[in-house]
Amino acid sequence: MASSIPRVEEAREILKKHKIVIAGIGETEQGKIPNKSSFQFLSEASKLAIEDAGIKKEDVDGLVTAFSLVEQTFMHCTTFADYFGLRPRYFSSVAIGGATAVWMVAEAAMAIASGQADVVLCVRGDNTLSGISSSGMVALIREMCHTEFEFPYGLTTPGGYALAAQRYLYEYNARQEHLAAVAVTMRKHAALKPNAMHKEPLTIEDVINSRVIAAPLHKYDCSIISDGGAAFIVTTEEKAKSLGIQKPLVYLWGMGEGYSHQYLTSLKNLDQIYNAIETSGQRAFKTAGVGPKDIDVAFLYDCFTITVLLELEGLGFVPKGEAGPFALEGRLEIGKDLPVNTHGGLLSQAHLGAMHHVVEATAQLRGEAGPRQVKDAEVALVHGNGGIVSAHSTIILGKQPLS
Amino acid sequence: MSETTKENRKYEKPLPEFRPETKPYWEACKRHELVLPRCKACGNVFFYPRALCPNCMSQDLEWIKASGKAKVWTFSIHHMGPTPAYKGEPPYVVAIVETQEGVKMMTNIVNCKPEDVRIGMDVEVVFDDVTPEVTLPKFQPASV
Repeated sequence: MASSIPRVEEAREILKKHKIVIAGIGETEQGKIPNKSSFQFLSEASKLAIEDAGIKKEDVDGLVTAFSLVEQTFMHCTTFADYFGLRPRYFSSVAIGGATAVWMVAEAAMAIASGQADVVLCVRGDNTLSGISSSGMVALIREMCHTEFEFPYGLTTPGGYALAAQRYLYEYNARQEHLAAVAVTMRKHAALKPNAMHKEPLTIEDVINSRVIAAPLHKYDCSIISDGGAAFIVTTEEKAKSLGIQKPLVYLWGMGEGYSHQYLTSLKNLDQIYNAIETSGQRAFKTAGVGPKDIDVAFLYDCFTITVLLELEGLGFVPKGEAGPFALEGRLEIGKDLPVNTHGGLLSQAHLGAMHHVVEATAQLRGEAGPRQVKDAEVALVHGNGGIVSAHSTIILGKQPLS
Repeated sequence: MSETTKENRKYEKPLPEFRPETKPYWEACKRHELVLPRCKACGNVFFYPRALCPNCMSQDLEWIKASGKAKVWTFSIHHMGPTPAYKGEPPYVVAIVETQEGVKMMTNIVNCKPEDVRIGMDVEVVFDDVTPEVTLPKFQPASV
């Protein structure tokens, strides 16, 4: 199949040859857990993923971590290796904001395909809700915008997304309810997820009548902050079999990144964001040899309601400007056209970047999602977004090996 | 929301930290002049100021005087600020404006009710001397 995306056929051959799999997942309790440190969450999540795979800690020879917003370290991966008593052959920290978790899978796959490691532990954990100081929170907000040309105007993180949302509403005649519908669906799904932080029912009116944070975004358009950890083990089918892993394996079919900007000041137009999402998605789709219609369940980065609409359109699930009505008609719910974030997402379950999105995608393809199970789920997509819809990453996972 | 905030009260909101390559921009703001960097090699006018042209990598740059006229590209009425200094403040407008020269700038829309701000609205630069060292260019509804 000819493609204009550079080296996509080669990427496909690499993934077909190595049969990269997610072979273990782990999730700690989530919510407000004031008595645990960042490194404790990392350790507990790692232990759960190793136990889920049924392997020994010594079998892990690669480590990919992210970063901590609370215990900021210069070398996060090796700091955790030391704490956890791991001696990895391969180690790396991925730090691309909300695009991180998705790209940890890719980072692990690339390490394995190039012979650097065989069994890679990918983990993120943090006590963001309980542990972050007010100065730490200010530093985090400042980090999200240009300190010299944006922050002095009082731009906040929700404000950055609100700027994108306002322009979206203007260009596509979208309404507040369209944004709110995303939050309502996430809450419905979270009600079915045991460790979700917010399960109480939420209506469109509740969202629209909640406190305005940065217009047009209200309180319930914004994701939650939580404490917790999550991890997954990436290896090959061959290695998983040799280690005697019994859990159903979930195969990596494709991956891609897309860059738009770092600072909103540098954004030329809304299409620049769509193009970045599309670039990320198309590389993943073309590598996997599938398209939006083949996706049974999608995990879209939902730090704010607006991102889900932009991602649904940028990834090609619906035409531009049509994601709002699609969401409002309930078509993102389990059992409908395209179930999205069956675990409740960042808006209602917990906020650990897209870690839980990857974990839940794996659970869905294993058929282990219980009351949230999407019937006959064979192919899943996970999309992460870092910065202010700036940096994008996409993976496609399959229940069967890539053929 | 006033144009100048020269009260005795200490200004505690975030201030820009100048870099060598951005200092002329802030010095111009202090003189109540809006300037933009232009690449002498390719003619690219860009923002924010950098040490080289993000289009062609040339370091042969000049400062041009901007018209000060712009249109609101998008905006958000902030009901919560990023630091404790904003506590108790009324909602304020953070906007991205597109200047006549074609660059985008983050700013505040001032001297009008937040609810009157619209995308596409014509605005003009106004200078806010927030401290003796720092003047922030902001925008207000165009007078003409």
